[in-house]
Parts: sequence; C-alpha cells; structure tokens
Amino acid sequence: PICPNGSDSCQVSLGDLFDRAVKLSHYIHSLSAEIFNEFDERYAQGRGFIAKAVNSCHTSSLTTPEDKEQAQQIHHEDLLNLVLSVLRSWNDPLLHLVSEVQRIKEVPDTILWKAVEIEAQNKRLLEGMERIVGRVHPADLGNEVYSRWPGLPALQLADEDSRLFAFYNLLHCLRRDSHKIDNYLKLLKCRLIHDSNC
Amino acid sequence: RYIQLRSGQPPGKPEILRCRSPEKETFTCWWKPGSDGGLPTNYTLLYNKEGERRYYECPDYTTAGPNSCYFDKKHTSLWITYNFTVKAINEMGSTVSDPYYVDVANIVQPDPPENLSLQFEKKVYGEYLLLNWDPPSLGDVKSGWLTLEYELHIKPEEGQEWEKIFVGQRTTYKMFSVNPGERYIAQVRCRSDHGSWSEWSPQSFIKLQK
Repeated sequence: PICPNGSDSCQVSLGDLFDRAVKLSHYIHSLSAEIFNEFDERYAQGRGFIAKAVNSCHTSSLTTPEDKEQAQQIHHEDLLNLVLSVLRSWNDPLLHLVSEVQRIKEVPDTILWKAVEIEAQNKRLLEGMERIVGRVHPADLGNEVYSRWPGLPALQLADEDSRLFAFYNLLHCLRRDSHKIDNYLKLLKCRLIHDSNC
Repeated sequence: RYIQLRSGQPPGKPEILRCRSPEKETFTCWWKPGSDGGLPTNYTLLYNKEGERRYYECPDYTTAGPNSCYFDKKHTSLWITYNFTVKAINEMGSTVSDPYYVDVANIVQPDPPENLSLQFEKKVYGEYLLLNWDPPSLGDVKSGWLTLEYELHIKPEEGQEWEKIFVGQRTTYKMFSVNPGERYIAQVRCRSDHGSWSEWSPQSFIKLQK
C-alpha cells in the first residue's frame, strides 16, 4: 500500500517499533562485545587494564537498575527515559571513537569497521527510541538528560599505555552500557507489547 | 627439655577458576585449592564491588558445593565489576590467589532446555517431525529479563554427523525431510542472547513407522 508521508493509517505499530529497536540493540551489543574482545586481545594483554577500569564510565552518574527486581519496579516511562539518556550520552564518544581509533598503531580494519557501524546504528536506535517515547509519553521528549563525556583528551595522550587504557575503558563501558540498553528494551517490549508474557 | 618442631608448609596458592550465572539473578564462583602443606587449611573468599572500598566475605560457601561461593539475588548486581580473591590459611602461614574480575552480565550460561519431545505429524501439506521443548525452569523468560536462543542437534540413529539447526528464540521446530522407518535422535541447547551455550539437553528419540 502506498504510504503518504505521516498519514495516520500507515503509522508503524508500537510493537513493530519495539521489534526494530530490540533487533538494533541486540546487534549493537554484539558488535560492542566483539570490538571490546578484539581490542582486549590485541592491545590489553598483561597490562592490567581491567583493574583500573573501575568506576570510570561517564554514564555512571545515571542511576540505572542493576538487577531484575529494580528493573521491574521502575515505571516504564522512567526506564524508557533512562535508555534515551544512556543512548544520548554515547553520541559524542562514538563519534570521536571513529576518528581517534584510526590513529592506533596497526589497528585492524575489523576494529575500524565495527566502530563506524556502532556509531551509525547507535544513531538509528536513538531515533527509533525517540519515536517510541513520542508514542508512549510525548511530553517527555523535551527533556534531554544525558551524561557528558570528558574522555577525548585521554584518547589523544602521547603516552601510548595511557592512551590505550583510555580506549580500553571506553570500549569496556560501551560493552556494559549496550548490554544494559539491550536488556532494558527486551524487558520493556515484553511488558508493554506482550503484557509481561513473552 | 624437648623442642617441638612443627612439621608442614604454608598452603599453596589457590586459583579462582570461573564464575557462572544461570539466569542473570544469582551467580556462583569456583576455585581450585593449592597444596595444603600437609596441614588443615581454610579458604576465605573476599570481594569488593566497583565503586566501593569496603571488602565483603563470601555470603554462602555451602549451597554450590566445595570450593565455591554462591551469591543469591540479594548479593548479585549486574553491570558492575566484582573483584575476587581467595585466601588459604593454615598453621604455617597463608597465601592469596590472583585477583579475578567479573561482571555478572558477561558470565551467563543457562541450564539446558527441558522436556524435549518428538512427534511425527501427517498433514495435507506434508509429513514432518515436530520437535517441542521448554526453556529451563530456572530463568525468567516471560518478563523479558532473560532472552534465550536455541540450537538443535538431530540425526538418524545410525547417522554419523549431527545436523545442527539454529532456531533463534522459537521453542518448536518442524523437520520435513524425514525417512519413514528411521529412528531419530535429537537434543537441544540454549544460550542467553549474549552469553555462552548451556549443556545439551538429554537426548530424545522417535521411531518412525514405515
């Protein structure tokens, strides 16, 4: 059927919007886990980065549920807004990740490609989430809460070890936050679309 | 006058082997003791959580068996890094393991799927083998907290190679290319959407009529 722009009859259902969002969040997290593992194997072995990558994610100021009970107790509008805030908080760092990662010595194309792909898909997911929030609770779209990322200077440090740790920490936080987003969206989809009976 | 020389050695260094969460709500860690130096040796697991300086001791040394520590829901948080060490102590001294870092989000390995059944179906559109199974009872799939994907292994009993079929999140599968009179074996496993595969379920069999 022809679908004139914006006509109500052609609106994508909320269920379809969630299906697309969950497919994207799943894909983004898979890429984030892969790029982290690849970077870890190639640049972090034996450097003890994991011990230092503690309490250092720029999004830790956003209070997010840390277990099933907390996630189920939070109202769906608040959880949707949290997902939006975390996604927005990654716009800037992902942009710089793409440009800065190219300066790493002998960086493989697979890491480059994944950084570009994650940045692009994160933008698409943010757009999708804004459509979902626009449907569920339009009033909320105005307040753009997000966590500022102060990490660009660290990605440009002269000392290689410090610079590599900055990348390691960014990818560690990306893996963590993309898993959170994926988990919360799957929970929200079951709650809002399938009445918690997936 | 006698001088009593104590025999025995300080304990060897224990090693933390792995941690596993079956359903993203609880988790268990296991360690391998070092040598006990010929003396009774005690083991203490200590940990701290990202963002906290304070150290805690293992909340439950028994539920998951020897040389293990079980963390129930109250002691389990996702998306934070736990830092574990195990300390071995006997009369002659003590030794501490290397630190072991864990985020529960990254150690999910579910239990195997349950109740795998095989049935032969004859419909107008064709004959096929219908396989059905349930998610592991340990794990909340309904609410969406745990999302599972499944993989099937199926083959004729005499066959050498398993046919491996990834079925995504479905818990049922129709296999059309079957031979009357043949006896088929099947098993199924699952994984959390981003975790590691479970063990295989017990095998199920069916003998098709000629």
